[in-house]
Amino acid sequence: MLIKDAPVIWEGLRSIICVYKPPSVTCERVRKTIIAAVCKGLNEMECRPPVDFVCIEGNPSGKLTVSVKPSLADDPLVVGPRYIHDDLKCSWSNFLGFNTSGVLLLGLGKGTKVAKLIRENRPTRCYRLSGKLGEATDNAFKDGKVVERTTWRHVKLENMNRFLATLQASHQKEMFKSCGIDLQSEEAYKLACQGPIRPANSKLPVIYGIKCVKFEPPEFVIEIQCINEYETYLRSLIHEIGMKLHSSAHCTAIQCIRHSYFTVENALLRKHWTLQDIITNMEQCIQIMDEHENIIRQKSAALQ
Amino acid sequence: MLRNLLKTYSVRVYFRIRQFSSVQSKAAEGALSTKSEYNLLDTRTIPNDDTIDSKDLEPEPSVLEPCNEDISYVAPYLRPSFNFAAYVNKSETLQKLVQLGVELYKLEKNPDVPPYLLQLDFEKDIKNHIIFLTDLGLETADLGWLITKNPFIFKEDLDNLQVRINYLKFKKFNDEMILRIVQDNPHWLGFSTQEIDKKLGFFQKNFGLTGNEVRSLTVKKPRLITYNLNHVKLNTFVIREEMGFTPDETKQILLQKPKIFMKNQKGMLKTFEYLHKEMNIPLETIAKMPQVLTCREFRLQQRYLFLKHLGKIQFDPKQPNYISLIALVSDSDAHFATEVAGSSVNAFNEFLKTL
Repeated sequence: MLIKDAPVIWEGLRSIICVYKPPSVTCERVRKTIIAAVCKGLNEMECRPPVDFVCIEGNPSGKLTVSVKPSLADDPLVVGPRYIHDDLKCSWSNFLGFNTSGVLLLGLGKGTKVAKLIRENRPTRCYRLSGKLGEATDNAFKDGKVVERTTWRHVKLENMNRFLATLQASHQKEMFKSCGIDLQSEEAYKLACQGPIRPANSKLPVIYGIKCVKFEPPEFVIEIQCINEYETYLRSLIHEIGMKLHSSAHCTAIQCIRHSYFTVENALLRKHWTLQDIITNMEQCIQIMDEHENIIRQKSAALQ
Repeated sequence: MLRNLLKTYSVRVYFRIRQFSSVQSKAAEGALSTKSEYNLLDTRTIPNDDTIDSKDLEPEPSVLEPCNEDISYVAPYLRPSFNFAAYVNKSETLQKLVQLGVELYKLEKNPDVPPYLLQLDFEKDIKNHIIFLTDLGLETADLGWLITKNPFIFKEDLDNLQVRINYLKFKKFNDEMILRIVQDNPHWLGFSTQEIDKKLGFFQKNFGLTGNEVRSLTVKKPRLITYNLNHVKLNTFVIREEMGFTPDETKQILLQKPKIFMKNQKGMLKTFEYLHKEMNIPLETIAKMPQVLTCREFRLQQRYLFLKHLGKIQFDPKQPNYISLIALVSDSDAHFATEVAGSSVNAFNEFLKTL
């Protein structure tokens, strides 16, 4: 790193970073690890020197000597490191559950505002869900207790594709219903001409595209583009797919492979969570946001 | 905690501040003496009409007369504070400690430490201890760390410390070993010889160690000896009963990797379960290479799955292309990906992004 001054770097923390959240780790833990890494990196750089301590000594009736020396009360050994964990603000723009892995956008410092804007814009996310046919568990994930075993050899790729297509169609119908406009109006027609739209409600999950990318029974992988989803919803989706195929299924992995314009390629792996890499990643993210301005400011309800 | 601190400070700080530096104590005496003079003056300003005091007859110094006496040190005492920063510019003891590299901000977390440390005098209470420790061979950097970890070392009597060192010499520890023990374990000198003897006896009896083995264990991990014995017992239970190692294997693990007995057993059990159930590594192999138990589960999992992805799993030492467990868990990812897995770092990183 060319810059050696910690305050310069500190001021530069005003955007988002894109990290790869590993599975079996909470978002909160990721956040704390990132904060700790940034603070550690900053404290190792050249920090602010201690403030001056003005010392007046001698007899007031005689001559007084005034000396200025660095104040020990401001020494890092006495007051602690210059940058502490509570100083750095950090928030995520998409929450990923405990078992989910993949792209996680974190706003650092003043970038928390950017993260908030991205969150409120509700961009689409793309997930890759791995499932396994034949067993249903109580929490629809692989670590749950098996509650049901079924046969799965009758399930073919055509069955799967047919069901996924109906699911997608029903969601798109729902999408227009929940857009907040009367479906019989002119406005609704104009909106529908633009293509898929985003829902007005932030609570209702909407699936825009769903397809099976790998089918090796009993294992299968589906890719899904959606908005407003959450981990339990995705898990129950796999469970539902299993039931509709006259079998049963549970989820083995959930991976977020894309969040708006940020893909797994941009994401920072756990071993690279150091100040140097975080700053480089932040620059990349700023570049991506410059290329696609609509990620922060959006004008229409159409899906982007 | 803050409230506790303030309470303890406010009760005793009045007297303790006086002791923390000689200048300050002089100031305190001066303040007391001048205060009494002021009292006399005060009573004289309102004379009693009925009685004529004999003192009234003495010539009274005028207020307008110039004062040659130095009263600059008459100042209010320092207010109670929640950290050392308020005192450090005035206290010589604290300044000396900072020069040694003691991290004072870490000491503030324990509410007992600041009142204790403030009443110490460097010349009287600290100097001899530091000379004693440097005579053992400790560097200045070690000293700062040691005091940060165990500030109550100044409470111990110097003769007691000498006795504790003599005990180690009596137990055939040479000077280098003693230096290593004191350097690595700041709390060692805080324990009496009886306690240390008991703790060493515990390890010798529980794991069936010989004298030399006890010494090598002590030098390898001095912190384990004074560690919470309940935690050591718990981990012994986990290793013997839950993991199923025999007493001999437990001893082997203890001598090779004593740190395992200080780790949190939950994470270790997870790693063990992954090793034993997923990777099918027999117990004997794990006992021979206990380092793998200190590896975190996700790291082991990442590397194992990568090898599986490449189809290079071969943990049998008698067959070609054997991959040692130690090579699997040690070194950086770059080294692992190129040397052990025979692939590239980029391929490994790509793979990690599919998990």
